[in-house]
Amino acid sequence: MAANALSYSLAHISTCSCSKKLSPSIFSSPPLISLTPRRAPLPSSSLDALVVRFPSPLSRRFRHFTASAASDNSVEGEAEVEDAEEESEIPAEGADVVAEEKPPRKPRIKLGDIMGILNKRAIEASEKQRPVPDLRTGDIVEIKLEVPENKRRLSVYKGIIISKQNAGIHTTIRIRRIIAGIGVEIVFPIYSPNIKEIRVVKHRKVRRARLYYLRDKLPRFSTFNYRSCSVVLSVEVNSKPFQRS
Amino acid sequence: MAACFASKWSMAVSRSLLGNLSSNNLGSLGKPQDLTSLGYNGLFFQQQLRTFIQMRTKLKVVDNSGAKWVRCIQALKGRKGARLGDTIIASVQEAQPRGKVKKGEVVYGVVVRAAMPRGRCDGSEVKFDDNAVVLVNKQGEPIGTRVFGPVPHELRKKKHLKILTLAEHIA
Repeated sequence: MAANALSYSLAHISTCSCSKKLSPSIFSSPPLISLTPRRAPLPSSSLDALVVRFPSPLSRRFRHFTASAASDNSVEGEAEVEDAEEESEIPAEGADVVAEEKPPRKPRIKLGDIMGILNKRAIEASEKQRPVPDLRTGDIVEIKLEVPENKRRLSVYKGIIISKQNAGIHTTIRIRRIIAGIGVEIVFPIYSPNIKEIRVVKHRKVRRARLYYLRDKLPRFSTFNYRSCSVVLSVEVNSKPFQRS
Repeated sequence: MAACFASKWSMAVSRSLLGNLSSNNLGSLGKPQDLTSLGYNGLFFQQQLRTFIQMRTKLKVVDNSGAKWVRCIQALKGRKGARLGDTIIASVQEAQPRGKVKKGEVVYGVVVRAAMPRGRCDGSEVKFDDNAVVLVNKQGEPIGTRVFGPVPHELRKKKHLKILTLAEHIA
């Protein structure tokens, strides 16, 4: 592992002519190297282009991880903050390399990674517009949706999440609720720009990932009324975000 | 493995028996709901695949026109059947004694709730727990004066604005 890492770093220094900034930061940021063997076990005699190209998506992803950590104001230790500052230099180069090389599809790029990269980019772009809270099956949730057909105001949808389908940018949640005596299930893509707000109101302990059994149960298990905190008369408003224990 | 084969065979038999009427095939539905893989046919019957409203579909009537149940006899528009927001021709099966329609009458109806999920243009889907219809006349105006239960947004695009104004809740 150490020998591999050393040969990797040597290959970097010898081959990267355009990315001079890479070499000092490679030395000073060991976590980056330790990631690469997990991701792509390259022989030390690998091609120059591969070596140049591989750290770029990784470093870009690293930058985004740390950038989102910083934006969320979560304290994760100063080591990561330093890494963010150092590696912010890398993606400037890495992004250029990746952006330039993507249109002419050379067979050396691993095609299997591209959809994952595109999905991540799309999710990050939508997270910048509106951060999505951590949603799990069993959360009772309130969604404010802007519907082009219903141009007046935001429609509010409340209900319990009975399933979550992960599909990158089209990750959807299925909300069930009894409205006016009839059960209604609506599937929402959570990264949709139409959704203006998602808020977790409560959480119900459930022991499975898909709660389809609620369709057969009594309607009172899917009824969620008087739960919204939007109307404030004389009730103390709980302004803390919902914390799942 | 044997159970998987048995379920596949029984499904094939039931598919051939049902023939064209049920239209229980993937092509009509587009994306299969809640299926992990298309190949495993046994999952088809664990989650009910709801299909269109077609001939002999019983629908609940949710206005105060007097009818209680109708049976669809024709879906106008749609080769496979009617969906949420479409109009159908139906025959009244059960009616209240003093109502605007009588049993056996042939009426037009607008589907306001369907168990089959209907996709919207923003990628979301709506699905109700039952099939319900609002009786209308030939011009599309509702016969009754009240509509019970939730109705979807899709009616706005289909120009059934009167039903939307009468509705209790717009889902």
